[in-house]
Amino acid sequence: MRRHLLWIVIFFLSSCQTLPIINAPSSPRKEKSFVCPDPFLKRNYRLVHAIEARLDGRVQSQIIGITLALPDTRSVSCAIITVEGMSLFEAEANPHGINVKRALPPFDSKDFANNMMEDIKLIFLAPEGVLQNRGYLADGSKACRYRQENGGWIDVIENESGETQIKRYSSSEVLKRDVRFSGTHKQLYQRIGLQADAKFDYFLLMNLIEDQPIKKQAIKRN
Amino acid sequence: MILLTGFCFLYGNVCHAEEKGFEKLRKESVKIKTLQADFTQKKSMKILSRPLVSQGYFYFAMPDSLRWEYIKPLKSVALSHNQQARRYMHSDGKWVEDKTNGVQAMRIVLSEIAGWMNGRFDQNPSFKATVIGKENTCIILTPVEKKMKGMIERIEINLAPQARVVQSVKILEGPDNITQINFSNVKMNHAIDPTIFKDVR
Repeated sequence: MRRHLLWIVIFFLSSCQTLPIINAPSSPRKEKSFVCPDPFLKRNYRLVHAIEARLDGRVQSQIIGITLALPDTRSVSCAIITVEGMSLFEAEANPHGINVKRALPPFDSKDFANNMMEDIKLIFLAPEGVLQNRGYLADGSKACRYRQENGGWIDVIENESGETQIKRYSSSEVLKRDVRFSGTHKQLYQRIGLQADAKFDYFLLMNLIEDQPIKKQAIKRN
Repeated sequence: MILLTGFCFLYGNVCHAEEKGFEKLRKESVKIKTLQADFTQKKSMKILSRPLVSQGYFYFAMPDSLRWEYIKPLKSVALSHNQQARRYMHSDGKWVEDKTNGVQAMRIVLSEIAGWMNGRFDQNPSFKATVIGKENTCIILTPVEKKMKGMIERIEINLAPQARVVQSVKILEGPDNITQINFSNVKMNHAIDPTIFKDVR
């Protein structure tokens, strides 16, 4: 609980800041060996997470989130079900758009579907756009900054303890999403925290239930 | 006209038989004072390659006390006692009460399940109930309202041949979206500590 509160406090403090400065590696040798943090999926995966939604630090609800992420085609499908098995939301997104198959209240707004699919892409798929900066933040964390087509920014950060973070900023440099991975490199998606600056600020804590790599043929059958 | 009369006659008989069927089930369920069972829930969806399996415990005492407890993959408990429903989620090693509107929906669901345990399968006006079979009885609930039809296609409740207790429940939300709940280790009319319906523990 303390840890989550700490995340939320850190988020609010950092959300008041503009884009942090990324200092280029200090020597040509460091520049050459610099590798951007890359917590993203390299192959097609199906992941099932228990998701806790928190408002003002309090647990509001617990749901199960199923994600099918296909990095090659930048496609994601997702479903939200209750613990009792009731399907609340089902949608898929690819570069051509979003197709919502089922959306029960309170998950039936268009904004919800767009934000949900964008959040899934942010967590699991490598950012699109141009690599603008790479180097180190003031605290020594390794960071790579990508400029998005819509004018926004995505920072992918790895601190000195090896923890990875993704931050999405709006075009006006306001922090909109802060994703933190608490899992190890082997099980990166074991525990994911997502703090959102939206109409209602919320925090999602995702704990992995199961994951499964999937073959292309299996996806076609789906 | 003769055909129409014949149809009405047959249809009337079917309805009458169905009413008798439900009446029989209600009478048989009077024997049930308490029930406890383990359950396994299998959720199948197109997005899942294999069903998502959940497990838990179920407790019921006449007339409407219920405990519906999931032990994995997520811990969660829904309690219903004296027409009051509460739901708890397990977070960071502690039980947290669900204060959202979802509890209201849960109250309706729990009251419906308690109704099934009492043999009241045809009492909810939102569903049309049909009873099929005699020994292996299956009750099919089909939503009446258009709004409900968009959420649930139908519910199939299978009763155990002799004891007439609910053996399995299948909820079809769509052609590829099915929740199957199977009950096992069923114990009927064993004493249940009443606090089990009040305290999350």
